[in-house]
Amino acid sequence: MTAWLLPENVEDVLPPQAWRMEDMRRALLDLFRGRGYQLVIPPLMEYVDSLLTGVGADLDLKTFKLVDQLTGRLMGVRADITSQVARIDAHLLAANAVNRLCYAGSVLHTQSDGFHRSREPIQVGAELYGEAGAEADLEILTLMLQGLDACGVKTLQLDIGHVGVYRALAQEAGLSGTVEHQLFGALQAKDSSAVMVLTAGLPVALRDAFAALPQLYGDRSVLAEARARLPQLAAIAAALDTLEVLDHGLVGVEAAYDLAELRGYGYHSGVVFAAYTGGRSHAIAQGGRYDEVGRVFGRARPATGFSLDLRELVIASSDKQ
Amino acid sequence: MSNSGITLALSKGRIFEETLPLLAAAGITPTENPESSRKLIIGTNRADVRLIIVRASDVPTYVQYGAADLGIAGKDVLNEHGGNGLYQPLDLQIARCRMMVAVREGYDYAGMVKQGARIRVATKYVNAARDHFSSKGVHIDLIKLYGSMELAPLVGLSDVIVDLVSTGGTLKANGLVAVEHISDISSRLVVNQAALKLKRNLIQPVIDAFASAVAAGSTR
Repeated sequence: MTAWLLPENVEDVLPPQAWRMEDMRRALLDLFRGRGYQLVIPPLMEYVDSLLTGVGADLDLKTFKLVDQLTGRLMGVRADITSQVARIDAHLLAANAVNRLCYAGSVLHTQSDGFHRSREPIQVGAELYGEAGAEADLEILTLMLQGLDACGVKTLQLDIGHVGVYRALAQEAGLSGTVEHQLFGALQAKDSSAVMVLTAGLPVALRDAFAALPQLYGDRSVLAEARARLPQLAAIAAALDTLEVLDHGLVGVEAAYDLAELRGYGYHSGVVFAAYTGGRSHAIAQGGRYDEVGRVFGRARPATGFSLDLRELVIASSDKQ
Repeated sequence: MSNSGITLALSKGRIFEETLPLLAAAGITPTENPESSRKLIIGTNRADVRLIIVRASDVPTYVQYGAADLGIAGKDVLNEHGGNGLYQPLDLQIARCRMMVAVREGYDYAGMVKQGARIRVATKYVNAARDHFSSKGVHIDLIKLYGSMELAPLVGLSDVIVDLVSTGGTLKANGLVAVEHISDISSRLVVNQAALKLKRNLIQPVIDAFASAVAAGSTR
């Protein structure tokens, strides 16, 4: 008899972890509520047309799909709640207002993100719409750190990047299609030799700039170094200005800056960040800016937010006990 | 992922031997030789650095999941693994060889790999074989083997093989010829992404020492 068998990377949450997880969920939602964030509860599934646009475009393979028996249209079980919240902001709520939204719920992945990672993460997050400035990024970043703190998870390392730097260089170099995609992959892997091969045909200044990106990683001195080593492009200067605002605003946290960090490059448009804790081989919370995502739902809106997986948080907090 | 010290995953044989000078450049000396010892965890002269000895094709897996912070793996192995979740900051220029297509002597390879053709390919490197032949517009039936690929064309298991060629000695001894060069292979340093962030003060000096040893080696 194997009637008890659960699918791979699918698990029950048992005592005492279940209460701990619920305590964390409440602590996070209470924190968000105290900061003026409105709760939204999007549906578990919707048409893939809305689910897989914008933020969700990277998620096609990860999304479980089913056919709606009422319409014959293809539906997906959400693999990420962010795209749903972006839809709510762009389509349902008051135009041009600043919206602070938060959510908590299960998502489903066809493939696990890695060893021992659930295919049913419990995603909790907060999103801030309608504010384009670095102050909004700082608000979200601070909220993420306070959230982890409220759950008793110590942030050992905070990594901050900005996809605008690579985007500006790629545009200046006139890169597109396959080459931009390959170069993006090489930078993600910090694979300097592949970066050198892929940029061999470019002007020296740009070649040096791309080669410098994987090395522009470390404490705040990286920002000054980036100004000296990268070309004088308006978009790069603006990106570095934003990072400096964050650096001044973050209190009590030692952040590392990583200009080759391009996570979510498909939809992120500005700052990207991730928090790490000891003993976990991947980030425990992450977020960033994604200004263009609302366009498919009617209007592009400045947008920045973060999310985390409660299951990971419970593991991270029990590792230390 | 352990919280203190760093763990480097290596495979025995050629990669281990050619890594020793790099380790020496970083001030790391293993306390035992894995060829003679049966131990799988090997200490070094530094209390905060240890080596683990794993199968070459398992190195990316150990590093990806944080069981090792660093590893040394061939580009061939990384291509098959996919490289997900790994930084690959350094081409170490060691254990160099070529990924090649080889056939039985007298086999009309040029005549067989026309656009739209279909051939049988035996290999350990299924991703490399799939990518190579699909870029040529050739359909393939893949036969995954774990070793002694040279045998496959001789006993009629496949038309061609895709394999690593170093000196070409094994091909020659079995009456095979290399007919197409797919890519140059060398070993890479791979690093767990979270480890680089959380243990940067331990890991970065090793990367830098390896990098300058490699640079010194290539100018000689």
